[in-house]
Amino acid sequence: MDNERLHYGDKIIYMEGVIVDVDDCSISIDLKGRLGFFKAPKRMFICDTEPKVGQEVGWNMSFPEQLGPEVNEKYVSNIEKERRKQQEMQARLDANKED
Amino acid sequence: MSITAETAKAHAHDPAVLCCRAEAGITIEPANLEDPAIFDDLVDSGLLNLDGCLTIEEVLGAKLTKTCDSLCPLTNDVLDGVKAPTTPAEEKAEEEAPAEEAAPAAPVATAATVAGGTLKIHIGEGKDINLEIPVGALGATGEAVAEVPAAAVAATATAEAPVEETKVVGTLTRRHIKITEVKRGPETKIEGTTLYIREGIEAEVIANQELVKDFHLEIITPDQYHTYSETIMDVQPIATKEGDAILGEGATRVLDGVVMMLTGTDEGGVQIGEFGSSEGYLDENIMWGRPGCPDKGEIFIKGNIVVQEKTNMERRGPMAAHTAFDIITQEIREVMKELDDSFIVEDEELKSIRRPGKKKVVIVKEIMGQGAMHDNFILPVEPVGILGARANVDLGNVPVCVSPLEVLDGCIHALTCIGPASKEMSRHYWREPLVLEALHDEEVDLCGVVFVGSPQINAEKYYVSRRVGHTVEMMDVDGAFVTTEGFGNNHIDFASHIEQIGMRGIPVVGLSFCAVQGALVVGNKYMQYMVDNNKSESGIENEVLGCNTLCQEEGIRALAMLKAAMAGEEVKAAEKKWNPNVKSTNVELIEAACGKKIELVDNEQSLPMSQKRKEKYD
Repeated sequence: MDNERLHYGDKIIYMEGVIVDVDDCSISIDLKGRLGFFKAPKRMFICDTEPKVGQEVGWNMSFPEQLGPEVNEKYVSNIEKERRKQQEMQARLDANKED
Repeated sequence: MSITAETAKAHAHDPAVLCCRAEAGITIEPANLEDPAIFDDLVDSGLLNLDGCLTIEEVLGAKLTKTCDSLCPLTNDVLDGVKAPTTPAEEKAEEEAPAEEAAPAAPVATAATVAGGTLKIHIGEGKDINLEIPVGALGATGEAVAEVPAAAVAATATAEAPVEETKVVGTLTRRHIKITEVKRGPETKIEGTTLYIREGIEAEVIANQELVKDFHLEIITPDQYHTYSETIMDVQPIATKEGDAILGEGATRVLDGVVMMLTGTDEGGVQIGEFGSSEGYLDENIMWGRPGCPDKGEIFIKGNIVVQEKTNMERRGPMAAHTAFDIITQEIREVMKELDDSFIVEDEELKSIRRPGKKKVVIVKEIMGQGAMHDNFILPVEPVGILGARANVDLGNVPVCVSPLEVLDGCIHALTCIGPASKEMSRHYWREPLVLEALHDEEVDLCGVVFVGSPQINAEKYYVSRRVGHTVEMMDVDGAFVTTEGFGNNHIDFASHIEQIGMRGIPVVGLSFCAVQGALVVGNKYMQYMVDNNKSESGIENEVLGCNTLCQEEGIRALAMLKAAMAGEEVKAAEKKWNPNVKSTNVELIEAACGKKIELVDNEQSLPMSQKRKEKYD
């Protein structure tokens, strides 16, 4: 099982955060105590009423642990391609806006 | 927490552990005992040791001889008047039941065969003949077991079960047109087996929707499979209705050897689609041959749509992308309508057959309805088209009943962009394996398919699942399937649908990707019959398109399990942790009972190993 690769996987902490953005498919959460930010698909978020900015949320989590020192070149290449494409498209968008 | 007398009865053969401190001298009642459901975790964490622990049925009514603390396992040392144990009915061992008990080969002197549901037993001569046929055996396995003394020879006996006639309620003809090459040309046309797509059609795709800012069309042939691609949003068949035929009836023309594939980003280059993605080299990221995926050897007409900045996460973004892309498909459809019959290479007839007298079943398919790309267009005019369809979210996610032929004729245009491995794309419904299996199974009477959306908010989830419960109740079915794609909060309504159907006394089999990563977030006592769609080696979302979607093998397992459930056979309980062996055991049991080999599909291990998968998962 993959989680056997974790050394601290059983250290489960109760966390709280605040919804800072909601769109049609995701919610964005600031972790309380300046501990970070994450964005997750709506389908992974459980709510009794409509999610709104400013609502507080809670969940259990642990620490993400490095699985090893190796760098996966495939991911690096995908990230790099993505970044270059976004840069190009953004530049084109800006140029169009100036026209 | 203490348990009720009812729970104690259900767990009669489970360990007896005190739920709270109990004084010496008391008589053990259910209220003194802890719910056995929580023991696995306690044993795992070392808080509880069940060695020598008596079972609940043994300790009830016994007298405690020593004051004990909470969570103390009850053993002979601390009790007086322990009852003798009875034999446990079933050992807890498997997730899914042995769908059918393998029918033992009886030493039969006569032929016992089932032909078209008729049990015919002919005994030439015999004496002292005892026929014992389990009531469930006919419905459950299609194999009757007749125990006849080997020496039986004397009388004549013929038993025939009444058979009602089957009724064809609808037919759909798929007329296949073969395509071996796709090219660009001055006009869209089909010549021989070559499909030409008009040059410059891109401008119309862009002009069609205000939100669409750019569009590129690529033709991917098998020798270009090792091409980098953005996240795949959908795979669609190219099909059109012939003449005035409406969806689900009459004739449908379909192109073989070519599929439409949609990808997209916003103007800033951000992927349309949820999170994570199946971007990368096509041949490393597609599970070939899954119902929703391309088959190896097919040509992809791949469109990359660019939508207005920041609309990739809004509902209108993906909707605009799908609508605009359909301009191309529609132009091909118009051309297909004009072709004469000489282009048709094969006619395939699909029949919706009702089998009165057989067990009546319904398939409930839960589809995404949380918003944006968690949506589906239902019942377009053309197969997997846009025009005429209603978005599932706009319909309020309420159940929509369709015929099995409407499903197979592309009544769902899927916008869902859940994890790529468990995503049911538009093509999935076109080749929906459970519908096909149930339709072709002569032992069940498939009455229809119910689509129900999965809303975001819990209150709405329960609203729609109650509608599902009433809809299924009105159908007077003997059994039901509930399927869902992906995992996450849709498992809440998935469980609720099963509960709503189960509480009406209808056996229900659930199908979902679960395994390790998609473990169900909730459960209830009606979720006894579950089939896992997982096919990945490690039981996770492996980022390979379509890998963990429902395939024929799940359809076969689910049908066998529902038949067993409807026949009242016991299904073994789940193991605490995911164990892939349960699936193989069940498959072997079905193979043994039906006498036919079930071909299992490959998983991601059959693909060229991408570096990311090698290091990350396996």
